[in-house]
Amino acid sequence: MRLFRNLAQALRGLRLNKANTFLMTLGVMIGIASLTVIVSIGEGTKSKVLNRITNLGFGPESFSVMSGAGRLFFGRSRNTTSMTLQDADDIRAMPHVTIVVPRQRKRMRIINKKEFTTTRVYGVSPEWQVARGWTVVDGAFLSDMDMDRKRKVIVLGATPAYKLFGEKDPLGKKIRVGQVFFEVVGLLEKKGLTESGYDPDDRALIPLSTSMSRLFRQTHLHSIKVVTTHPGKVKDTMAGVTQILRRNHGLSPLADDDFRFVTPEGIMQWVTESEQALNRMLFLISTVSLLVGGIVIMNILLVSIRERIHEIGVRRCFGARRSDITQQFLFESIFVSLLGGAMGTMLGWTLSTGLKRFDLLPTKITWDPFILAFLFSVIVGLVFGIHPARKAAWLNPDETLR
Amino acid sequence: MTVPKVIDIESIYKTYKNEGLETEVLKGISISVGEGDFISIVGPSGAGKSTLMTILGCLGQATSGTYLLDGEEVGELNDRQLSRIRNEKIGFVFQAFHLLPGVSAFDNVMMPLVYCNKTPGDAEERVERSLNRVGLGHRMDHTPGQLSGGEQQRVTIARSLINDPKIILADEPTGNLDSKNGAEIMATFDGLNREGRTIIIITHDLAVAEHARRILTLRDGQIVSDKINETFQESRTSPARATAE
Repeated sequence: MRLFRNLAQALRGLRLNKANTFLMTLGVMIGIASLTVIVSIGEGTKSKVLNRITNLGFGPESFSVMSGAGRLFFGRSRNTTSMTLQDADDIRAMPHVTIVVPRQRKRMRIINKKEFTTTRVYGVSPEWQVARGWTVVDGAFLSDMDMDRKRKVIVLGATPAYKLFGEKDPLGKKIRVGQVFFEVVGLLEKKGLTESGYDPDDRALIPLSTSMSRLFRQTHLHSIKVVTTHPGKVKDTMAGVTQILRRNHGLSPLADDDFRFVTPEGIMQWVTESEQALNRMLFLISTVSLLVGGIVIMNILLVSIRERIHEIGVRRCFGARRSDITQQFLFESIFVSLLGGAMGTMLGWTLSTGLKRFDLLPTKITWDPFILAFLFSVIVGLVFGIHPARKAAWLNPDETLR
Repeated sequence: MTVPKVIDIESIYKTYKNEGLETEVLKGISISVGEGDFISIVGPSGAGKSTLMTILGCLGQATSGTYLLDGEEVGELNDRQLSRIRNEKIGFVFQAFHLLPGVSAFDNVMMPLVYCNKTPGDAEERVERSLNRVGLGHRMDHTPGQLSGGEQQRVTIARSLINDPKIILADEPTGNLDSKNGAEIMATFDGLNREGRTIIIITHDLAVAEHARRILTLRDGQIVSDKINETFQESRTSPARATAE
């Protein structure tokens, strides 16, 4: 077969022009490597976000109301102080509402003698544990009595417990949060790091009444979690909550809401949207990196054709058709880009694994970029090889021998 | 005695267009070459030798005129058909050898077979025979860089013979060689002609031209003389005369 003979000539050509082959391979390799790294970072970010959402502990029958206008987790202002316990009580009185958990939240430093760490400190009502379905492995969760008496007691997540006490038992010990001493009364079950590095155990819980009067010294809430009887009731309940909060906050009909909802549905929608945006960006970046690789191939092939003009001329003299020359150079280009693609995916895989191992960026290795890389290599080889290949074939044979 | 004609050219014209400027390089050339003939085409540079070589070698087509090669009209053929003709009927020998660098003599000679419609079953034997014919049977694995100029030119002759062509077309075959190697190459051509091969040598070196039976002189795109070389037999027996002194 003429085709296979041309392929053999192409492979020989690549072997004989090692420097050019190396440079072309390098060009594609870098392109494909960056493609795989970018895609795996994208996938990593995606799964980080998804993990985070699953760790919010949302069931389909629940939602949160966050203080401040904005969307989902992105409040437009951190200084909205309008949400109060009154709001929570009014929501609790609504039909179909089973649990209401008012919350306050701050990142604070917690200290045990010489050990200290910074963690998310939540002031919550005792229903929090039921709403989240989170087990206490040692001691007990915050009680109604703790709440009523504004006791200075704290339940630690596994991460701060380990950071402050190591292997020792923290129960009954006093730790300092800001300027206030708390007694450790319970330990939350360890959930473990998510794949992407989000740590759900990095938290500490105190009674809401204590956080309001003794620690944060503020009456406004950060958010209210609402659990309804049935997923089908979420929408109506949210409408009711909107009415109550607008009335309680004295908002005129023209004013925007000074609160926002976080619902499982809203999060999914947001994830889908951000995934799409991310994918568009990935596509753009990949295209650019492959374009660069392709242009490298094209330019080097064009130079190579100049260098090998006599070879082309001689081949034509001895009976090579234009199509033979085109095929030979196309094969060279495709082979080089496949080689570069293979090496690029290996390099990309190594880099992605490294980024993850050293905790630099969340990456997730999937098969897609490898298949993509293979496809793109062939396409790059074809698209950017065709011009030089045809140029070589259409050289005037008698001019090539001068 | 009627010898079958291998080449029959009738009033060939060739005009090049360059940036709107037309240059007429060949102005009505007619040549006929019989089978087994040995022809040299001489002339000063710019006379149109290379252009004539291009047309004879089916590397380019004439602006007007007819060219019958082995009974086939070449002027009307497309690239595919011209490629086949070059592959089967013409063996090229170049001044600058034009061997594929880094490739063994064996594979260089094999190269034209890549472009045959069907690779002959005895390809390797043919390559060996061809290299033995030029006395390089012992250097088949050497790359051009490992061969002397004379040896390289013998490899190109072996390459030109591989498809058993109707004509051998040599463009200044001794131009890059010293006198000793040049003489050896011309002796090789003499031998090939004695075996009945048709040879056309294009040269500006009269000593080289004198190896031929017929010498055509080209000037300003026209043939100004076409004469039988009286010293033909003599030069054959004394290849040393090919030296350019």
